[in-house]
Amino acid sequence: MNLTQEILDFLYGEAELLDEGRYREWLDLLTEDILYRVPVRLTRERLPQGGHSGISEQMFHLDEDRTSLEMRVARLETGFAWAEDPPSRLRHFVTNVRIGEPRHTPLGEEVEVRSYVLVFRSRWDQPDFTFLSAERHDTLRKQNGSWKLAKRLVILDHSTLPTHNLSFFL
Amino acid sequence: MPWSKIVGGSSRLGELLEELATGLEQGLLPAGIFNDPEIFEREKEKIFSRSWIFLAHTSEIPSPGDYVLRYILDNAFIVVRGEDGQVRAFLDMCRHRGMRVCRAEAGNASHFRCPFHGWTYRNDGALVGVPAEREAFGEGFSKADWSLLPIPKLEEFDGLLFGNLSPEAPSLKEWLGDASWYLELVTKRSHAGLEVLGPPQRFVVNTDWKLALETFISDSYHTLMTHRSLIELGIAPRDAKYAMYGEQIHIPGKGHGTMVVGGPPGAKLPPFWGYPEEMMERAKTSYPTRTHWEVAKETRIFLITLFPNFSLHNPIRKPDHLYPKPVPMLTFRVWHPLGPGRIEVVSWGLVEKDAPEWFKEKALHSYMRFFGSSGTFEQDDTEIWSHVARNAGSTLGRRVLFNYQMGRGVAPDPNWPGPGVAYPINFTDENLRNFYRRYLELMLD
Repeated sequence: MNLTQEILDFLYGEAELLDEGRYREWLDLLTEDILYRVPVRLTRERLPQGGHSGISEQMFHLDEDRTSLEMRVARLETGFAWAEDPPSRLRHFVTNVRIGEPRHTPLGEEVEVRSYVLVFRSRWDQPDFTFLSAERHDTLRKQNGSWKLAKRLVILDHSTLPTHNLSFFL
Repeated sequence: MPWSKIVGGSSRLGELLEELATGLEQGLLPAGIFNDPEIFEREKEKIFSRSWIFLAHTSEIPSPGDYVLRYILDNAFIVVRGEDGQVRAFLDMCRHRGMRVCRAEAGNASHFRCPFHGWTYRNDGALVGVPAEREAFGEGFSKADWSLLPIPKLEEFDGLLFGNLSPEAPSLKEWLGDASWYLELVTKRSHAGLEVLGPPQRFVVNTDWKLALETFISDSYHTLMTHRSLIELGIAPRDAKYAMYGEQIHIPGKGHGTMVVGGPPGAKLPPFWGYPEEMMERAKTSYPTRTHWEVAKETRIFLITLFPNFSLHNPIRKPDHLYPKPVPMLTFRVWHPLGPGRIEVVSWGLVEKDAPEWFKEKALHSYMRFFGSSGTFEQDDTEIWSHVARNAGSTLGRRVLFNYQMGRGVAPDPNWPGPGVAYPINFTDENLRNFYRRYLELMLD
């Protein structure tokens, strides 16, 4: 199978696990040294060189490592995680996937992947819903023949979140 | 005379306030006050247009030209440090035709230029540039008459900047009253003071600002059930009544309330919130009184809510379920009202400026994992608050009376060393009854 297909399969398969709430299986897709970050986004003036601005380097909505992600998943399994019980109906739409050149690192073969994600969220019987829109900068690493997520930076398109919590992953 | 006559307007608003006035001392509050368009309109006029509202912490704007954009109701204010070092706040509205002159939430600027017609203001508010001034406005025009409009009142308490829309407002010191003694437990914990850990998180919740602050002024009772998941994980103590212990203190006539929690009797918890030894040693000399230190060294969980919508939470906390030692965290937040049944939570993480670097990092993680937009405690709070508000706005639900009777009949603690009226148990609604007395007083004024 070619690299593009492998990466697309990974991203779509991951989205399926997140949308179906199969978080234990999702954790299996992450490396032990996973760094998962969603920085706070601020409205700032355009940079002279263009490009993104207002991405906080200090404050994050989520700044997670393996242990804290496992804690969040374990919390969802307690039966008392009201923010996701009943679970949100989530749909991760992953598009605009761009795959870098694979490279060899001491930890294994790695590849940088950028994608867009639109997350639809609907709760209870309410007809209204929220969308979160973001760009993801991922580092995938091949371990024992399978790709794992080693690093994810989620650059939100929101300064003020239009939803009442981030009780799910992007 | 029925309150409906006194407040005028529609009978709907009058009825709700009358129900609140009649029921408050019996601990009965009409659900309708938590999601009603007429109540909200009156809150805008009677509460938010003349209360001291938290705008920013001075550490957000440490250098000349640094600014942040902040709101009171729907009014945008540029909070900016001038070249002279003085902090000011201006309505972000060009004096010519009303365009925003500030184009970012935060930054550094010597001047703010209106993109509409180019009027340019210095960061002390002075109008310094008007394109084609003489040709367009003639000889009689004086730029000095057209400075940016300063906020009617701006005052600081130990780095906390508050603004007030009313020029007639009492001083911040008077407004805070004895609550400042409790604020100092945090603001004077170190000689160096506090610093923000980056910009605030902002997120929208479909709830009422009062429902949110209730959790931070009084409601330790909800911990048992709302936060049961964290108890299951061993983050919060297993003792089902652990949140009951501690003193709940209110400032009569002001509406402010605080909770000072030491922990269950016999619990083996480190003193002084679990802050590092060196920070504890420094605090012994930074507190203004010996009593501050005596209270602080026994404190593990500490909250303040200043009337109307500023809260501070400072708990001892494990940064994750496996980390061996507790690491306290500090958050400030504003329950910014957007409309009936809708708020924006503005939530900051802070730490002492002179805290060790390793501790700052851990305190930031402790904050982000438990409070704020993704916080494992707070995400369950916001879920629940939103459903309470939804019910409170329903046609039948709005007429239901809520129970605020917890702790009635419990006598104040005569031995509490700090100011205010203290109760020796946290399972009480005393702080809320005090808050709503002040609320009612202003709403009927």
